[in-house]
Amino acid sequence: MTEATFFTAAFVLYVVSALCYLAFQFGRKAGAATAGLAAAGAGLIVHAVALVLRTIQSGHAPFTNMYESMSFLAWAVVLALVIIEAKFKVPRAGSYVMLIAIAVMALASSPLMPKEAAPLVPALQSYWLWLHVSVTLLGEAFFAIAFVTSIMYLRAKDPEKRDKMDSVSYRCVSIGFPLFTLGGLVFGMVWAEKAWGTYWSWDPKEVWSLITWFVFALYLHTRIVMGWKGKRSAIIAILGFLAALFTFFGVNYLLAGLHSYV
Amino acid sequence: MKKIIHFFSAVKLAIVLIILLVAASIMGTLIPQGRDMAEYAARYGRLGEPLVRLQFTNIFRSVWFLGLMAVFELNIIACTLTRLGAKVQRARKPKIESDPKDLASFKIKDRLRMSAGLDAAKERAVEALKEAHYRVRTAEEKAGNENKSGGRFNVFGRKRIDGIFGSDIVHLGLLVIIAGGILTGIGGFRAELILNPGETKDVPRAGFSVRLERFDTEMYPGGGVKDWKSTVTIVENGRDARKQVIEVNHPLVHKGFSLYQMAYGMNWDAATLTLRIARKAAAEGAAEKSGEASAGPKKEMKPETETRRPAAAQPAPDEPRIIKAKVGEVMPLGDADGTEILVRSFIPDFVLGENNVPESRSLEANNPAAYVEGRRGGKKVVEGWVFAAYPEVTRLKGDAAAEYAIEFRDLDAPQYSVLQAAKDPGVPLIWLGCLLIMAGLILAFYRPTWEIRMVLEAAGGAGRELGASGKTEITAGGVAAKSRDGLEAEFARIIAGLRSSK
Repeated sequence: MTEATFFTAAFVLYVVSALCYLAFQFGRKAGAATAGLAAAGAGLIVHAVALVLRTIQSGHAPFTNMYESMSFLAWAVVLALVIIEAKFKVPRAGSYVMLIAIAVMALASSPLMPKEAAPLVPALQSYWLWLHVSVTLLGEAFFAIAFVTSIMYLRAKDPEKRDKMDSVSYRCVSIGFPLFTLGGLVFGMVWAEKAWGTYWSWDPKEVWSLITWFVFALYLHTRIVMGWKGKRSAIIAILGFLAALFTFFGVNYLLAGLHSYV
Repeated sequence: MKKIIHFFSAVKLAIVLIILLVAASIMGTLIPQGRDMAEYAARYGRLGEPLVRLQFTNIFRSVWFLGLMAVFELNIIACTLTRLGAKVQRARKPKIESDPKDLASFKIKDRLRMSAGLDAAKERAVEALKEAHYRVRTAEEKAGNENKSGGRFNVFGRKRIDGIFGSDIVHLGLLVIIAGGILTGIGGFRAELILNPGETKDVPRAGFSVRLERFDTEMYPGGGVKDWKSTVTIVENGRDARKQVIEVNHPLVHKGFSLYQMAYGMNWDAATLTLRIARKAAAEGAAEKSGEASAGPKKEMKPETETRRPAAAQPAPDEPRIIKAKVGEVMPLGDADGTEILVRSFIPDFVLGENNVPESRSLEANNPAAYVEGRRGGKKVVEGWVFAAYPEVTRLKGDAAAEYAIEFRDLDAPQYSVLQAAKDPGVPLIWLGCLLIMAGLILAFYRPTWEIRMVLEAAGGAGRELGASGKTEITAGGVAAKSRDGLEAEFARIIAGLRSSK
C-alpha cells in the first residue's frame, strides 16, 4: 500500500471523528465524543504511517513542499487535539478542530499543491530541517486549538463553559508558545547561521514568525501581569493564530524571500 | 529619576511597544525593502520619496526602529529589575504568618476542625505538606499576646519557587540576544569571495587566504542540484594550513571566521563554445541567397557579393566541422580555403538593448549567442550572431556569407564559487540568549510556584489554654499564579487527608 492509501484512510477516519464529535455536540451523548476521540487517534496512527512511508519514499523529512508540510500540519493538529482532550477534556472543541484538520488535508491534496517528492535542494539538506519544521508546526498546532477554544469562548453563553474555554486556550498557548519559540525562532536561527551564515536576516518569514511571537507575548503579558482574561485574551489568541497562519501560508504565496522553498 | 523609572517599568509601555514593533514589522514585509529610489517612485508615485526619506524602505535598520528597540530594551530592564527585588525577598524570606481573614479571600481556601491538639495538628499539617513535596516553614505566635485569641501556628508550604524567576530569565535572554545583535552590528563583518578554481584570495581582515582547489556541482540522477561543493585550502603565511570541503549547510570555521558556500556562477570569460560549421556548395548558397533576397531586401545583399562568388565556388561542399573555441581565439576551420574562425564575443543571455546594442539580460545561459567571424587570407568574409537556442534566427553577412552555415551547438564554462567569509562576535551571545529564553519559558510554564498557607488555632476561642480543648481549627488557603486548577486539586487532596486523619 502506498502513502496515498494511508493518507486517504486517515482522511476518512478524521471525517468519521468529526461526525462523531458533531453528533456529540448535538446529541450530548458522551459515547459519541469517545468515539470521536478514538477515530481521531486511529486516524493519527494511520496518518503517521503515511508520513513514514513518504519519508522512506522520498528519503527526506516529510515537509519539504506544501503538500507535505500541510499533511504534517494536519497530523500535528490532530495530535495536539488528542493531547489536549486527554489532559483537559474539551470534547466540544473536537468537531471544530477536526474540521480544521480535514480542511488542511483537503487543501493539501488539491491539485493546486505540488505533490511530487522532489529531491532536496542543497539548502534543505540538514537535520535542522527535521527539528525546525516539526517543532514549529507542532507549536502552531497548539495555537490552532487555542484559536478554536477562543472562538468557542466568544460564542459561548454558559459561564462555566466560558471559563473552561478560556483556561484551555491559555493551556494551549502555554504549550504552543515554548514549542514555537524553540522550533521557529531558536532552531530557525541556528540553522540560518549554518546555512546562510547569518542567524537573522529580516526575511519576511522570519519577520512574520517574530510578529506571531510578539502577539503571543502580548497575550501572556496582558493575561499574567495585567490580569486580562476572557474576551480580550480570546481575541489576542485568535490574532496570534492568524499571524501564525500567515507565517505558514501567506508569506510563501504573497511575499518573496529566502524561505520560498515550498 | 523616579518618574523615568516609573515610566519605563510600566507593563503598559511594553504592550504599546510590542504593538508598535508588530506594526513596523508588518510594514517591513509589505513594503519591499532596500530597493532603489526609482522602483519606489514607480510603485508608490509621489509617496515614494517620503517613504524613502522616513526610512520605511529600510525599516529594520532605520533610526526609528532601532530607537523603538532601545526603548523596548530599557522597558524590559526596568520591568524586570523593579519586580526582581520583591521576588528575591519572596523566595528567600517569605512571610510565614498569615491572617485568617486574608485566607478567607483566597480563591483556593478551606476550613476544617481537627480533633487533635494544636501541636499534633501542626505536625500532621506539616507532614501532609511535606508528603506532597512542599517545603514547609512554620511560625508560632505565642499566646499571651493579650488582644489575640490563644496560641496560633502558621504553616507555610511552597513548591517550585524557581518558577517565579522564569519570566526574568526569559527577559534576560532577550536582553542578551539584543546585545548579541548589537555586537553583530558593530563588530560583525562579512565579505564575498569570488573564486575561480585554482585562484587564491585573501580573506579580508582574517590574516589568511583561501584557495579554491575545485568547485563541483552535483546533480540528482533525475535533474536538480544535489550539492555545491567547494574544495578549499586555507593558506596561512604562504603555507597550506588545512584543506576542507565547504558545502551548503557545512561551513568551514577557521580562527573565528566562517566560510560559507553562498552562490556560484559561470565564468563566461573562459567559456568554450562548440560550433558546427558547414560549407555549402556555391550554387546551393547562391540559390539560398537569391531566395532570401527576394524575401526581403537586405543591406548586405549587394551585387558585389554575387560577383565574388565564383572564387569560392570550386571546392565540393566540405564535411561539416566541429570547432571548439574560446572567445578571441582564432581557429583554423581546416577547409580547402584555409578559413579561420574567430569568436569575437559571447553573450550568455542575449537581448537587444537600447539603440539595438546587444547586451546580456542576466548571467544565466538563457539565450547564449556568439558573434562569429570567418576569415580567408586575413580578410573577413563572413560574420554574424549565432544563437544556440534559435538556430533559425542566425543571419550571416559578409562576402562569403552564403557559403557558410554556422550552428552554435554547445557551451561549456568553468564555474566559479562564491564564498562568504563572516566573522560575527555576536553569535555566542545569541545562543546564550536562546538558552536563557528556553530555560526561562520552561520554568515559567512548567514549574508553577504553589503556596499553601495554614493558620492553626486551638478551637474554642479566646481564653483557653493552648490545645486544651483537644480540637484545632485550621484555616487554609492556596496561591498559584499559574496552573491554579492543578493546585486546587492538590489542595483539596491535602485538606481531605487532614480531615480524615484522626
